[in-house]
Amino acid sequence: MLMPGSTQSAPTILSVRGLSKSYSGTIHALRGIDIEVKEGEFLVILGPSGAGKSTLMRCINRLVEPTDGKILHNDVEMTGKRRNLRAVRRQFGMVFQQFNLVKRLSVLTNVLTGRLAYRSTWRSLFYNFSKEDKRIAIECLARVNMDHKAFQRADTLSGGEQQRVAIARALAQQPTIILADEPVASLDPKIARQVLTYLKQVTQELGITVLCNLHQVEYTREFAERIIGMSRGKVVFEGTAADLTDEILHRIYYRDPDEQDDKDHS
Amino acid sequence: MGSVTFEDAVNAAMRLEAQARTRRYIKLSAWAALAVAALWYSAHQIKFSLAAVIHGVPFMWDFITRLFPPDLGYLTVLGGATVETVQIAIWGTLLAIIFSIPLAFLGARNTSPHIVVFHLTRLLLNSLRAINELVFALIFVSAVGLGPFAGVLAVALHATGMLAKFCAEEIEGVDKGQVEAQMATGASRMQVILFGVAPQIVPQFIGYAIYRLDVSIRSATVLGLVGAGGLGFSLIQTMKLFKYHQTATCILVIFLLVLISDWICGKLRRRVI
Amino acid sequence: MSTNVQAQTQSIFDELAARQTWRFKHIVYIALIGAFLAWCADGVNLRPREVFNAVPIIADYFGRMWPPKWGFVEAIWKPSIETIYVALWGNVIATIVGLPLGILAASTVTQSRILRGGAMGILNVFRSISELIWAILFVAAVGLGPFPGALALGMNYGGILGRLYAEAIENVDKGPIEAMEATGASKLQVIMFAILPQAMPQFVTYNLYWFEVGVRSATVLGMVGAGGIGFELITSIRLFEWREVGVILLFILGMVTIIDMTSTYIRGRLY
Ligand SMILES: Nc1ncnc2c1ncn2[C@@H]1O[C@H](COP(=O)(O)OP(=O)(O)OP(=O)(O)O)[C@@H](O)[C@H]1O
Ligand SMILES: [Mg+2]
Repeated sequence: MLMPGSTQSAPTILSVRGLSKSYSGTIHALRGIDIEVKEGEFLVILGPSGAGKSTLMRCINRLVEPTDGKILHNDVEMTGKRRNLRAVRRQFGMVFQQFNLVKRLSVLTNVLTGRLAYRSTWRSLFYNFSKEDKRIAIECLARVNMDHKAFQRADTLSGGEQQRVAIARALAQQPTIILADEPVASLDPKIARQVLTYLKQVTQELGITVLCNLHQVEYTREFAERIIGMSRGKVVFEGTAADLTDEILHRIYYRDPDEQDDKDHS
Repeated sequence: MGSVTFEDAVNAAMRLEAQARTRRYIKLSAWAALAVAALWYSAHQIKFSLAAVIHGVPFMWDFITRLFPPDLGYLTVLGGATVETVQIAIWGTLLAIIFSIPLAFLGARNTSPHIVVFHLTRLLLNSLRAINELVFALIFVSAVGLGPFAGVLAVALHATGMLAKFCAEEIEGVDKGQVEAQMATGASRMQVILFGVAPQIVPQFIGYAIYRLDVSIRSATVLGLVGAGGLGFSLIQTMKLFKYHQTATCILVIFLLVLISDWICGKLRRRVI
Repeated sequence: MSTNVQAQTQSIFDELAARQTWRFKHIVYIALIGAFLAWCADGVNLRPREVFNAVPIIADYFGRMWPPKWGFVEAIWKPSIETIYVALWGNVIATIVGLPLGILAASTVTQSRILRGGAMGILNVFRSISELIWAILFVAAVGLGPFPGALALGMNYGGILGRLYAEAIENVDKGPIEAMEATGASKLQVIMFAILPQAMPQFVTYNLYWFEVGVRSATVLGMVGAGGIGFELITSIRLFEWREVGVILLFILGMVTIIDMTSTYIRGRLY
């Protein structure tokens, strides 16, 4: 694990300023989030169910439009313009809780979809990829040790394997940042550790920044270089695993009686 | 992982990919060639020709312009035929419901009294389904004369095939636990069917019967082409007399009738299921 | 206390009374429906006596079809195969018509309400005009023969299939769509890589089913001059050649059964 100090000096790659999002004007999922993400760090966002973690990720990737606030990527503002949406999105790889692979396509084709944003729509109509794209995709699969299953259908894989393929798909985008939204929430503890290890190791090798949502404290302590605690749409904590005291956990999880949830006792 | 082995693994996978791609292309081309050949040959057999379509556009346009404007005065004449169409569909479906209930139980593996009965019933149902209602209508028009009665019988027979087969499949799919529980109480075969099987399939059956009514209304609109009553008769008659404005009115009324029935039946089905 | 019991009994009585009126309402409904059905039966000359009389007559007509005149097979061999070709091309045309319209009509693909409504409207029009009416129209355009039959099936079933396609598209798993959007894929790429692969088995199932239905309808398109076995059938019936009719019906039955079995087999291997 890296020393906490080593990321301190790294430049900021992403900064979120005063980000708010309300669904249909009544549900306030995010209420003024401020986050600075350093280049190359493994940042975990910890929070109970409903804290707004997924919404934050979706705002960064522009899958949902924030109601208010700014997101700067390498000091370039990204909110607002819809014109170069494809170019913006391909800089952010995304990994989902439910893997979201296309089950009937092969593992390799699934990873190749990570290359779509780099290619013209018309070429990809015929499921035709360049040799270069295939090499990138296979390399990404090899990094998560899934190259031996490249030609199987995605639905023949176990959950952990599917998530590794999903990580490979995100890597194939050659992103600067990977957004992982509860990547291990539907995996058993052993496989969950394995997947997180892959995610951390590979991104460190490639110098990719990771923003990872988790709701399990254990994994957070184990993998996070820096932690941001979220509760009810607000940042309530910022620090390292060492700073994560019981008192702070209580603040994140049990602040409101109605925030208690069956999800967070892992 | 060492960089050499990593490179090797990637190269090996690239080679495999190339092989798999070649195999896929061969397989794909074989299938594509087969499909193209089949389509090409059948296209030739049915004298498929885009040129004919393009040449036909003026003729079709001519035909369509002759339909306009629809003769709205003819609506008053069509009122009776419209009502008749609906009546044919309603009684055709109703008779089909009556016929199909016993046939469904005879044609379901788990309630049929004997395997021979099961197979014979299925054969009968498949025959009823395979033969279009217009074919039945033609035969019945010869047998019982022109008019809606022949139409009702035609719709009834064809719909019986569909309804009974659907219902038989539902019966075969019922929850075995409930049936066994009834048998355990010592209920008779008939009682098990009435209290164990029937309640499980009634909602689906009603839903399907409503769907069938919609389909019956559609078919009833064309039965008249062979003289079995309803709007189709006016349609073909006005065409034969070259009264195209009236034909247009017929098409319009048929169209509206189908739309309305589709809408009403869709609503009803959603309420039942 | 006693007033309480009284009140309760009273409320039960009220409920019973309400149920009584409820029953009464039902009797009225049933009577109304009965009257309506009787009126319908009267309109279509359906009387118990006539039905009873009709049974032996119809049985007699089917009896006349036996034994089938096997020599007639030679004459109907070709039109039977033609029927299948018509259904096949009808299915192909239906897919060409239905797929783009179906994709446009799916709410998960098309944001614009006008576009979606327009596509759905066209599909509804195509669907609501029966294949026989389409056939009449196309016979007027391209002349007699199997080709207008295929076009007619294509338009009618294109409308039906398009609506089913749209439903299938709306029901696919949204996760992969979102994942594909997140990679920065374009709309068309999302359709090609996330939607179509997922919806494909459904599409094939629908196509197979409507191919079967198409074969059955193609057997009557000949009645309006649009090819297939229908022409032979109507001619034999008009000439009262019942033993020929028997052969044709057996042929249709055989054809439909074979296609039924084949498509069940294909469907079993799909997912
Ligand atoms: N599309 C939506 N429409 C309306 N409300 C939404 C939508 N998506 C999320 N919300 C609401 O926003 C709030 C935050 O949701 P979000 O999914 O971001 O939480 P989360 O921290 O990711 O929770 P979980 O751990 O369950 O994934 C919740 O109250 C949720 O109900
Ligand atoms: Mg979430």
